[in-house]
Amino acid sequence: MARHLVCRASDLPPGTRRIVTLAGRSIGVFNVKGEFYALRNACVHNQGPVCVGRVSGTYLPSAPDEYRPGLEGRVLRCPWHGWEYDITTAESLIDPTQKLRSYPVTVDDGNVVVDL
Amino acid sequence: MSTLSRPEEQTASEKAYRVIDTDIHHSLPSWEALQPYLDEPWRTKIVAPNSRVGGLGVEAGRSRLDSTPPDGGTPGSDPEFLVQQLIVENHVDIGILTGNIYGWNVHPNPEYANAVIAAFNDYTIDKWLTPHDQLRGSITVNANDPEAAAAEIDRLGPRDDMVMVIIGATSTSPYGQKYYHPIYEAAIRHNLPVGIHVSAAGTGIAHSATAVGTPRTFFEYHSGLPRIYMTQLISLIGEGVFEKYPELKWVFIESGVVWLPHVMWRLDKEWKGLRREVPWVKRPPSEVIKEHCYFTTQPLEEPPNEDWLLQIFDMINGEQCLLYASDYPHWDFDALHVLNHLPPNYRRAIFQDNAQRLFNL
Repeated sequence: MARHLVCRASDLPPGTRRIVTLAGRSIGVFNVKGEFYALRNACVHNQGPVCVGRVSGTYLPSAPDEYRPGLEGRVLRCPWHGWEYDITTAESLIDPTQKLRSYPVTVDDGNVVVDL
Repeated sequence: MSTLSRPEEQTASEKAYRVIDTDIHHSLPSWEALQPYLDEPWRTKIVAPNSRVGGLGVEAGRSRLDSTPPDGGTPGSDPEFLVQQLIVENHVDIGILTGNIYGWNVHPNPEYANAVIAAFNDYTIDKWLTPHDQLRGSITVNANDPEAAAAEIDRLGPRDDMVMVIIGATSTSPYGQKYYHPIYEAAIRHNLPVGIHVSAAGTGIAHSATAVGTPRTFFEYHSGLPRIYMTQLISLIGEGVFEKYPELKWVFIESGVVWLPHVMWRLDKEWKGLRREVPWVKRPPSEVIKEHCYFTTQPLEEPPNEDWLLQIFDMINGEQCLLYASDYPHWDFDALHVLNHLPPNYRRAIFQDNAQRLFNL
């Protein structure tokens, strides 16, 4: 596995992201509530640039006319056709077996490091 | 002098033919942008509050987030950015603009609608077609005023850079009826196909989005859109429009196609027993449809088994009638590569041959 330095952890505060190219691959690195996640910038659906989509919460499955907000700050929505993913698990919300490629991220001496 | 860069080497399979994108929604950056093309009283009215057709936001839905131009404006409103993002980066050779103004046929004031539509056509010629030779335009007309529509087609039809007439799919009566025939006669005069495109139902003077009333969510409304096209196609057949106008070609834009075999078979079956009521329908409707009607591929249906889609294409003679379209910049657009699983003969026909033949490109 190759280790790639992305940035200083202090430059990627909670709720922010960076899109970087590592070893020729476009990868989104997210800070969700202090934890870092790295996702391949290619939606499972049509390989759109998923990592540039909006990050927010969503409405969880519920009864008709019931609205259950959840996953606040964890949901990445692909800018092309709206597919939603939980950043922390890389799983799509419609089918957990459809997942974005994800990579281990560590903080090493104040640096955010992604293992490809 | 263009500063746009040419794309990297395309894949071998793409190089063998041109790519023609048949549904691109260019747009105004603001209603103020249309004012130079309007006379009074419309010039003042267009920027007044609550003065426009209400449903345009519903039918456009969300656009792709990455289609917002660098200056932060409306998606589809910046010609340079659109040409770079869609035409150059997407390896499209010719892009046919469809705009987003055809839905004004359900505005209660047809004089106003006529003026706004004509102004939009002029704006398109001025800002989009004239500076960019990879683009072609569609003559938008107010389908609710067929005389005015015919005059607009006669005005712009002689232009080489206008390749289609476009009207909204939502009308206040079915399009086969003779009220609309002046539009088709004008289109034929200029050798132009007539395209229909999703437009807002349940707004202005339009009826509700379904025959049983108004759905509550955009999800329901959007899922049911093929209904509107089915109704229009059945009307064209039942009224014998293609008997009356043998040169007429129609383009069903953004209708999907998986419903088409069902409608073809049902029309054929009904015709066999009910022929007496429609004696001007002299041949099986499915044959008439195959001769006169084209369908854009977007939004490409996504069955769980890809082979089924190919079977559907075979059932509808898709190799002759399907046209690639992106529907840029709308949220449900299709990137070029979604057609990669089709065999080479289909790709060539869909990306190039059918559009070339239909639009004389």
